[in-house]
Amino acid sequence: MRAAGFLAAAFGLLVLAAIVVAFALQQPSAGTPQEQAQRLAAELRCPDCESLSVAESRTAAAAAIRQEIDAQLAAGRSPDEIRDSFVARYGEWILLEPRGAPLWLVAPLAVAIGLGVLVWWLAGRRDRAAAEPGPAPPPSDPERARLAREVEQLDG
Amino acid sequence: MRRSNLRWLAVPLLVLPLAWLLFTGLGRDPREIPSPLVGKPLPAISGTALDGSAFSSSQLAGKPALINVWASWCAPCVTEHPLLLDVARQHADELQLIGVLYQDTADNARAFQSRYGDGGWPDVDDASGQIAVALGVTGPPETFFVDALGVVRYRHVGPLTMEVLDERLTALGIEP
Repeated sequence: MRAAGFLAAAFGLLVLAAIVVAFALQQPSAGTPQEQAQRLAAELRCPDCESLSVAESRTAAAAAIRQEIDAQLAAGRSPDEIRDSFVARYGEWILLEPRGAPLWLVAPLAVAIGLGVLVWWLAGRRDRAAAEPGPAPPPSDPERARLAREVEQLDG
Repeated sequence: MRRSNLRWLAVPLLVLPLAWLLFTGLGRDPREIPSPLVGKPLPAISGTALDGSAFSSSQLAGKPALINVWASWCAPCVTEHPLLLDVARQHADELQLIGVLYQDTADNARAFQSRYGDGGWPDVDDASGQIAVALGVTGPPETFFVDALGVVRYRHVGPLTMEVLDERLTALGIEP
Protein backbone atom coordinates (compact mmCIF):
# COMPACT_ATOMS: atom_id res chain seq x y z
CA MET A 1 0.00 0.00 0.00
CA ARG A 2 2.75 2.41 1.00
CA ALA A 3 4.78 1.37 -2.05
CA ALA A 4 1.82 2.09 -4.34
CA GLY A 5 1.45 5.54 -2.77
CA PHE A 6 5.11 6.31 -3.38
CA LEU A 7 4.80 5.10 -6.94
CA ALA A 8 1.81 7.37 -7.57
CA ALA A 9 3.60 10.36 -6.02
CA ALA A 10 6.74 9.70 -8.08
CA PHE A 11 4.67 9.46 -11.24
CA GLY A 12 2.90 12.72 -10.43
CA LEU A 13 6.24 14.48 -9.95
CA LEU A 14 7.48 13.06 -13.25
CA VAL A 15 4.43 14.43 -15.09
CA LEU A 16 4.90 17.82 -13.43
CA ALA A 17 8.57 17.90 -14.46
CA ALA A 18 7.61 17.01 -18.04
CA ILE A 19 5.09 19.88 -18.13
CA VAL A 20 7.65 22.38 -16.85
CA VAL A 21 10.25 21.22 -19.39
CA ALA A 22 7.70 21.35 -22.23
CA PHE A 23 6.76 24.93 -21.37
CA ALA A 24 10.40 25.97 -21.03
CA LEU A 25 11.19 24.53 -24.48
CA GLN A 26 8.21 26.31 -26.02
CA GLN A 27 9.46 29.84 -25.40
CA PRO A 28 9.80 31.23 -28.92
CA SER A 29 12.40 33.81 -29.73
CA ALA A 30 11.97 36.48 -32.38
CA GLY A 31 14.09 36.08 -35.48
CA THR A 32 14.46 37.44 -38.97
CA PRO A 33 11.22 37.84 -40.97
CA GLN A 34 12.16 34.69 -42.91
CA GLU A 35 12.51 32.72 -39.68
CA GLN A 36 9.23 34.15 -38.36
CA ALA A 37 7.46 33.30 -41.62
CA GLN A 38 8.91 29.79 -41.57
CA ARG A 39 7.82 29.28 -37.95
CA LEU A 40 4.28 30.53 -38.68
CA ALA A 41 4.02 28.35 -41.79
CA ALA A 42 5.05 25.33 -39.74
CA GLU A 43 2.20 26.01 -37.27
CA LEU A 44 -0.54 26.24 -39.89
CA ARG A 45 -2.29 23.27 -41.44
CA CYS A 46 -2.26 23.05 -45.21
CA PRO A 47 -5.98 23.43 -46.19
CA ASP A 48 -5.98 20.83 -48.95
CA CYS A 49 -3.69 18.14 -47.59
CA GLU A 50 -4.57 18.25 -43.86
CA SER A 51 -1.74 16.22 -42.37
CA LEU A 52 1.03 18.54 -43.52
CA SER A 53 1.94 22.01 -42.40
CA VAL A 54 1.89 24.91 -44.83
CA ALA A 55 5.69 24.96 -44.62
CA GLU A 56 5.99 21.36 -45.81
CA SER A 57 3.26 21.34 -48.44
CA ARG A 58 3.76 22.12 -52.12
CA THR A 59 0.09 22.73 -53.00
CA ALA A 60 -1.11 26.02 -54.46
CA ALA A 61 -3.24 26.70 -51.36
CA ALA A 62 -0.19 26.34 -49.10
CA ALA A 63 1.78 28.65 -51.40
CA ALA A 64 -1.02 31.23 -51.18
CA ILE A 65 -0.93 31.06 -47.38
CA ARG A 66 2.87 31.43 -47.30
CA GLN A 67 2.49 34.46 -49.56
CA GLU A 68 -0.14 35.90 -47.22
CA ILE A 69 2.14 35.35 -44.20
CA ASP A 70 4.96 37.19 -45.99
CA ALA A 71 2.64 40.05 -46.96
CA GLN A 72 1.32 40.44 -43.40
CA LEU A 73 4.83 40.32 -41.89
CA ALA A 74 5.94 42.94 -44.40
CA ALA A 75 2.98 45.07 -43.32
CA GLY A 76 4.39 44.97 -39.79
CA ARG A 77 1.90 42.64 -38.13
CA SER A 78 3.00 40.47 -35.25
CA PRO A 79 3.05 36.65 -35.48
CA ASP A 80 0.16 36.53 -32.98
CA GLU A 81 -1.96 38.86 -35.12
CA ILE A 82 -1.18 36.81 -38.22
CA ARG A 83 -2.08 33.58 -36.47
CA ASP A 84 -5.37 35.14 -35.30
CA SER A 85 -6.17 36.33 -38.82
CA PHE A 86 -5.93 32.75 -40.11
CA VAL A 87 -8.00 31.40 -37.23
CA ALA A 88 -10.65 34.04 -38.03
CA ARG A 89 -10.94 32.66 -41.57
CA TYR A 90 -10.40 28.92 -41.21
CA GLY A 91 -11.19 28.37 -37.52
CA GLU A 92 -8.99 26.72 -34.88
CA TRP A 93 -8.71 23.82 -37.29
CA ILE A 94 -5.98 25.63 -39.23
CA LEU A 95 -3.62 25.44 -36.24
CA LEU A 96 -1.74 22.16 -36.14
CA GLU A 97 -1.53 22.54 -32.36
CA PRO A 98 -4.80 23.68 -30.78
CA ARG A 99 -4.66 26.63 -28.44
CA GLY A 100 -6.51 27.12 -25.19
CA ALA A 101 -6.72 24.19 -22.80
CA PRO A 102 -3.66 21.99 -23.35
CA LEU A 103 -5.38 18.90 -24.69
CA TRP A 104 -2.27 16.76 -24.28
CA LEU A 105 -2.82 17.02 -20.52
CA VAL A 106 -5.77 14.64 -20.95
CA ALA A 107 -3.55 11.57 -21.42
CA PRO A 108 -1.36 11.97 -18.29
CA LEU A 109 -4.47 13.00 -16.32
CA ALA A 110 -6.27 9.85 -17.43
CA VAL A 111 -3.30 7.72 -16.37
CA ALA A 112 -3.11 9.52 -13.00
CA ILE A 113 -6.84 9.01 -12.40
CA GLY A 114 -6.50 5.36 -13.39
CA LEU A 115 -3.61 4.89 -10.95
CA GLY A 116 -5.62 6.60 -8.22
CA VAL A 117 -8.59 4.31 -8.79
CA LEU A 118 -6.28 1.28 -8.77
CA VAL A 119 -4.67 2.30 -5.46
CA TRP A 120 -8.11 2.99 -3.96
CA TRP A 121 -9.36 -0.41 -5.07
CA LEU A 122 -6.29 -2.24 -3.75
CA ALA A 123 -6.57 -0.43 -0.42
CA GLY A 124 -10.26 -1.36 -0.22
CA ARG A 125 -9.43 -5.02 -0.79
CA ARG A 126 -6.77 -5.01 1.91
CA ASP A 127 -9.13 -3.32 4.41
CA ARG A 128 -11.81 -5.86 3.73
CA ALA A 129 -9.33 -8.75 4.13
CA ALA A 130 -8.25 -7.29 7.51
CA ALA A 131 -11.84 -6.82 8.66
CA GLU A 132 -12.82 -10.40 7.77
CA PRO A 133 -13.63 -12.41 10.98
CA GLY A 134 -11.07 -15.08 11.91
CA PRO A 135 -12.07 -18.66 13.01
CA ALA A 136 -15.00 -18.75 15.43
CA PRO A 137 -13.92 -18.65 19.14
CA PRO A 138 -14.25 -21.94 21.04
CA PRO A 139 -17.61 -22.29 22.88
CA SER A 140 -17.69 -21.18 26.48
CA ASP A 141 -18.45 -23.59 29.39
CA PRO A 142 -22.18 -22.77 29.77
CA GLU A 143 -22.53 -23.18 26.06
CA ARG A 144 -20.78 -26.57 26.21
CA ALA A 145 -23.14 -27.68 28.94
CA ARG A 146 -26.16 -26.57 26.90
CA LEU A 147 -24.90 -28.39 23.83
CA ALA A 148 -24.26 -31.57 25.80
CA ARG A 149 -27.80 -31.38 27.18
CA GLU A 150 -29.27 -30.95 23.75
CA VAL A 151 -27.32 -33.89 22.36
CA GLU A 152 -28.49 -36.04 25.23
CA GLN A 153 -32.10 -35.05 24.58
CA LEU A 154 -31.73 -35.99 20.92
CA ASP A 155 -30.27 -39.36 21.89
CA GLY A 156 -33.00 -39.98 24.35
CA MET B 1 -20.64 -0.11 4.14
CA ARG B 2 -19.75 3.51 3.47
CA ARG B 3 -17.01 2.43 1.06
CA SER B 4 -19.40 0.32 -1.01
CA ASN B 5 -21.83 3.28 -1.18
CA LEU B 6 -19.04 5.41 -2.64
CA ARG B 7 -18.32 2.68 -5.11
CA TRP B 8 -21.87 2.82 -6.40
CA LEU B 9 -21.51 6.57 -6.79
CA ALA B 10 -18.48 6.00 -9.02
CA VAL B 11 -20.57 4.18 -11.64
CA PRO B 12 -22.88 7.10 -12.55
CA LEU B 13 -19.91 9.48 -12.17
CA LEU B 14 -18.10 7.63 -14.95
CA VAL B 15 -21.09 6.64 -17.07
CA LEU B 16 -23.05 9.91 -17.11
CA PRO B 17 -20.33 12.16 -18.61
CA LEU B 18 -19.60 9.47 -21.20
CA ALA B 19 -23.28 9.18 -22.08
CA TRP B 20 -23.53 12.96 -22.33
CA LEU B 21 -20.49 13.08 -24.62
CA LEU B 22 -21.92 10.41 -26.92
CA PHE B 23 -25.37 11.98 -26.90
CA THR B 24 -24.19 15.48 -27.85
CA GLY B 25 -21.68 14.07 -30.35
CA LEU B 26 -24.28 11.95 -32.13
CA GLY B 27 -26.82 14.78 -32.08
CA ARG B 28 -24.60 16.97 -34.22
CA ASP B 29 -24.91 17.05 -37.99
CA PRO B 30 -21.54 15.83 -39.24
CA ARG B 31 -22.14 17.43 -42.65
CA GLU B 32 -22.28 20.88 -41.14
CA ILE B 33 -18.80 22.36 -41.27
CA PRO B 34 -18.72 25.53 -39.22
CA SER B 35 -17.00 28.57 -40.62
CA PRO B 36 -15.77 31.37 -38.37
CA LEU B 37 -16.94 33.75 -41.09
CA VAL B 38 -20.62 32.97 -40.43
CA GLY B 39 -22.21 35.98 -38.76
CA LYS B 40 -19.35 38.25 -39.83
CA PRO B 41 -19.07 40.65 -42.76
CA LEU B 42 -17.72 39.08 -45.93
CA PRO B 43 -13.96 39.82 -46.15
CA ALA B 44 -13.09 42.30 -48.86
CA ILE B 45 -12.25 40.33 -51.98
CA SER B 46 -11.45 41.57 -55.44
CA GLY B 47 -10.07 40.31 -58.72
CA THR B 48 -10.58 40.14 -62.43
CA ALA B 49 -13.49 38.20 -63.89
CA LEU B 50 -13.09 35.85 -66.85
CA ASP B 51 -14.70 38.43 -69.14
CA GLY B 52 -12.00 40.93 -68.17
CA SER B 53 -14.20 43.09 -65.93
CA ALA B 54 -13.03 44.08 -62.47
CA PHE B 55 -14.83 42.64 -59.48
CA SER B 56 -14.87 43.89 -55.91
CA SER B 57 -17.03 42.59 -53.06
CA SER B 58 -18.04 46.18 -52.29
CA GLN B 59 -20.28 45.94 -55.38
CA LEU B 60 -22.41 43.34 -53.64
CA ALA B 61 -24.02 45.59 -51.02
CA GLY B 62 -27.81 45.85 -51.08
CA LYS B 63 -28.71 42.42 -52.42
CA PRO B 64 -28.13 38.89 -51.12
CA ALA B 65 -25.32 37.03 -52.89
CA LEU B 66 -24.10 33.50 -53.44
CA ILE B 67 -20.36 33.15 -53.74
CA ASN B 68 -19.56 29.82 -55.34
CA VAL B 69 -15.98 28.57 -55.26
CA TRP B 70 -15.43 26.09 -58.09
CA ALA B 71 -12.98 24.62 -60.57
CA SER B 72 -13.29 22.91 -63.93
CA TRP B 73 -11.38 19.87 -62.57
CA CYS B 74 -13.86 19.46 -59.71
CA ALA B 75 -16.41 16.70 -60.38
CA PRO B 76 -18.96 17.73 -57.69
CA CYS B 77 -18.95 21.20 -59.30
CA VAL B 78 -20.40 19.59 -62.43
CA THR B 79 -23.15 18.04 -60.28
CA GLU B 80 -24.20 21.31 -58.69
CA HIS B 81 -23.86 23.43 -61.83
CA PRO B 82 -27.45 22.88 -63.13
CA LEU B 83 -28.79 23.99 -59.72
CA LEU B 84 -26.78 27.20 -59.90
CA LEU B 85 -28.03 27.84 -63.44
CA ASP B 86 -31.62 27.37 -62.19
CA VAL B 87 -31.14 29.67 -59.22
CA ALA B 88 -29.54 32.36 -61.39
CA ARG B 89 -32.48 32.21 -63.81
CA GLN B 90 -35.23 32.13 -61.18
CA HIS B 91 -33.90 34.85 -58.90
CA ALA B 92 -32.09 37.05 -61.40
CA ASP B 93 -33.42 40.28 -59.86
CA GLU B 94 -33.13 39.47 -56.15
CA LEU B 95 -29.91 37.45 -55.91
CA GLN B 96 -26.38 37.97 -57.18
CA LEU B 97 -24.18 35.03 -58.11
CA ILE B 98 -20.42 35.26 -58.08
CA GLY B 99 -18.12 32.43 -59.10
CA VAL B 100 -14.59 32.19 -57.72
CA LEU B 101 -12.31 30.09 -59.88
CA TYR B 102 -10.11 27.98 -57.60
CA GLN B 103 -6.68 26.79 -58.77
CA ASP B 104 -7.66 26.66 -62.39
CA THR B 105 -6.93 28.31 -65.74
CA ALA B 106 -9.25 30.69 -67.56
CA ASP B 107 -9.20 28.46 -70.66
CA ASN B 108 -10.34 25.39 -68.72
CA ALA B 109 -13.05 27.44 -67.01
CA ARG B 110 -14.37 28.67 -70.37
CA ALA B 111 -14.36 25.12 -71.72
CA PHE B 112 -16.39 24.07 -68.64
CA GLN B 113 -18.90 26.85 -69.30
CA SER B 114 -19.35 26.02 -72.97
CA ARG B 115 -19.87 22.36 -72.07
CA TYR B 116 -22.15 22.66 -69.01
CA GLY B 117 -23.72 26.06 -69.57
CA ASP B 118 -22.81 29.65 -68.80
CA GLY B 119 -25.19 31.38 -66.39
CA GLY B 120 -23.76 34.78 -67.22
CA TRP B 121 -22.63 35.62 -63.67
CA PRO B 122 -19.09 36.94 -63.15
CA ASP B 123 -16.40 34.33 -62.46
CA VAL B 124 -13.46 35.84 -60.64
CA ASP B 125 -10.15 34.17 -61.44
CA ASP B 126 -8.34 33.50 -58.15
CA ALA B 127 -5.03 32.54 -59.74
CA SER B 128 -2.97 33.72 -56.75
CA GLY B 129 -5.25 31.91 -54.29
CA GLN B 130 -5.67 35.02 -52.14
CA ILE B 131 -9.48 35.02 -52.33
CA ALA B 132 -9.54 31.38 -51.22
CA VAL B 133 -7.27 32.27 -48.28
CA ALA B 134 -9.45 35.27 -47.40
CA LEU B 135 -12.55 33.04 -47.33
CA GLY B 136 -10.87 30.10 -45.58
CA VAL B 137 -11.66 27.74 -48.45
CA THR B 138 -10.48 24.15 -48.06
CA GLY B 139 -11.52 22.91 -51.50
CA PRO B 140 -14.18 23.32 -54.16
CA PRO B 141 -17.09 23.36 -54.29
CA GLU B 142 -17.86 25.73 -51.44
CA THR B 143 -20.68 28.24 -51.41
CA PHE B 144 -21.07 31.27 -49.17
CA PHE B 145 -24.55 32.69 -48.59
CA VAL B 146 -24.25 36.44 -47.98
CA ASP B 147 -27.20 38.60 -46.95
CA ALA B 148 -28.10 42.05 -48.27
CA LEU B 149 -26.03 43.70 -45.53
CA GLY B 150 -22.91 41.83 -46.63
CA VAL B 151 -22.89 39.43 -43.68
CA VAL B 152 -22.00 35.77 -44.29
CA ARG B 153 -25.03 33.71 -43.20
CA TYR B 154 -23.98 30.21 -44.16
CA ARG B 155 -21.12 28.34 -45.74
CA HIS B 156 -21.82 25.12 -47.60
CA VAL B 157 -18.97 22.70 -48.22
CA GLY B 158 -19.52 20.21 -51.04
CA PRO B 159 -22.01 20.19 -53.90
CA LEU B 160 -25.19 22.18 -53.34
CA THR B 161 -28.49 20.33 -53.19
CA MET B 162 -32.03 21.51 -53.79
CA GLU B 163 -32.80 21.19 -50.06
CA VAL B 164 -29.81 23.27 -48.99
CA LEU B 165 -30.58 25.95 -51.55
CA ASP B 166 -34.28 26.12 -50.60
CA GLU B 167 -33.51 26.32 -46.88
CA ARG B 168 -30.69 28.83 -47.08
CA LEU B 169 -32.23 31.09 -49.71
CA THR B 170 -35.40 31.26 -47.60
CA ALA B 171 -33.19 32.30 -44.66
CA LEU B 172 -31.88 35.13 -46.85
CA GLY B 173 -35.45 36.25 -47.50
CA ILE B 174 -35.73 34.78 -51.00
CA GLU B 175 -38.75 32.59 -51.73
CA PRO B 176 -37.50 29.49 -53.52
